[in-house]
Amino acid sequence: MSESVLDVRQVVKKFGGFRALDGVSLSIRPGEILALVGPNGSGKTTCINVVSGLYPADEGEVLFQGQRINGLSMSSLARLGINRTFQIPKPFKALTVEENVDVALRNIHPATPLVDDPLAFVGMDHVRDRMASTLNSGQQKLLDLARALAGAPKLLLVDELAAGMNPAELRQLAGKLRELASRGVALLVVEHLMGFVNQLAERVIVMNAGREIFEGSLAAAAKDATVVEVYLGG
Amino acid sequence: METILAYSIIGGILFGFFYALLGLGLNLVFGVLKMVNLAHGDFVMLGAYGAYVAYSTSHINPLITILVEIVAFGIVGMALYYGIVPRLLKSHDPEMLSLILFFGVSQAIEALATFAFGQNTQTMNPNVFGNHPLVIFGQQFQTAWWVSVLVSAVALALLYLFLYRSKLGRATRAVMGNREETAASGINVNRVSTIAFGIGLALAGIAGALTPFMLGGIYTTMGVGITVTSFAIIVIGALGNPLGTIIGGIVYGVAQFLMQSYLPSWSAMAPFVLLLIILLVRPGGILGKGARYA
Repeated sequence: MSESVLDVRQVVKKFGGFRALDGVSLSIRPGEILALVGPNGSGKTTCINVVSGLYPADEGEVLFQGQRINGLSMSSLARLGINRTFQIPKPFKALTVEENVDVALRNIHPATPLVDDPLAFVGMDHVRDRMASTLNSGQQKLLDLARALAGAPKLLLVDELAAGMNPAELRQLAGKLRELASRGVALLVVEHLMGFVNQLAERVIVMNAGREIFEGSLAAAAKDATVVEVYLGG
Repeated sequence: METILAYSIIGGILFGFFYALLGLGLNLVFGVLKMVNLAHGDFVMLGAYGAYVAYSTSHINPLITILVEIVAFGIVGMALYYGIVPRLLKSHDPEMLSLILFFGVSQAIEALATFAFGQNTQTMNPNVFGNHPLVIFGQQFQTAWWVSVLVSAVALALLYLFLYRSKLGRATRAVMGNREETAASGINVNRVSTIAFGIGLALAGIAGALTPFMLGGIYTTMGVGITVTSFAIIVIGALGNPLGTIIGGIVYGVAQFLMQSYLPSWSAMAPFVLLLIILLVRPGGILGKGARYA
């Protein structure tokens, strides 16, 4: 039995002749926040898509709590405790905000809720009766997070949740995500905003062209010549 | 003049419920899969022949046939989904492939039906439900009409209760919204889609059993025309929105009746002119963009 919540071992994902993931390996412990950073097209979101079951891995292994989960569907993994947000959330616009969260609650019905009220946790208590179609993009992202939390994740995959938020909102969001980690949730966070990553993650993996080019602290990444060349700039 | 107008409007609304039923199965499948089932009209045709054969050979009341067809078409729909749709969804261009594939299914059904039932147009006795005409505002509507309207309205109400009052219905509306978000919510999207496809064909079966009374003679090549009519109805209402289909059906029915009353020689093209106007003026359908998500 592995101590890690998630172990990704030499995973390859190909789209035609393009290797979006080219032998990626990573692991996350319970309560840890790991950030995946890198330039556009480096494979960060593809990595989340493979772990969450949206795409099957072509090679390699994905283990969740020591069990191989290759080939399981996204809905099965959501019920196991791997929940995710989407880079461009598409809430169920014909449903109210509360119904959006209820869909996940009623279908995953976790034995022990992670938070008592996911909408209140993300600060959307006041709009729970509104139709999801009336939300702005920032609210849609928070609703997406609330929906993911309704499944009481053991592993939460967060895909560019912070885009478009102001500094105060970013601080608040970082606090919420750290609180989730303090409750034992492992977070794999894909993000471009380095200031936000700095508030969140002790460990980052920098990716480029489907491969990891660096693993360590963000401060160390900022001094790494290869990372500076391909991502952070001179 | 006023009598004709009243007849056209009332008749159009009554027929509208049937037209809504005709379009609803197609719209449910479109909403869940984002694919147009070009064989929809052919399943309606099969439903019509089911009622015709059951009555002409064994004098089985079409209302009984409807119950059998709900089960039979539902099972066929679910089998058809499992047989072809997951493979389609894995392809690079599932929408385009689905058009080709469902067109093939449509042609196959039409050919087999012609082989089985022949090329002649068949009619059913309109007094099969008795002779108790309905009078509304002085206008008389034959029994077969109002029974068909009543059955259509009950089917629409049951579908509404399913979609808006049941857990599975809410999951179905979630799939209509976004398949990936739905899967991320722990819902087995394939299972929900399978059931929706089955319900879509069951609705086609119900509409089919009523077709001999609402559209007159039935023939094995009528499916393509019914698919086109159904598509016009759901676009008029709002693609992917079941509530829009009911409005689309009623608007379509009233428009057709008005044209038949006042400009009969142009009536065949009226619905399509209406469709063009809707597409030009309000491309999202009458219920519009804000309500087209299911």
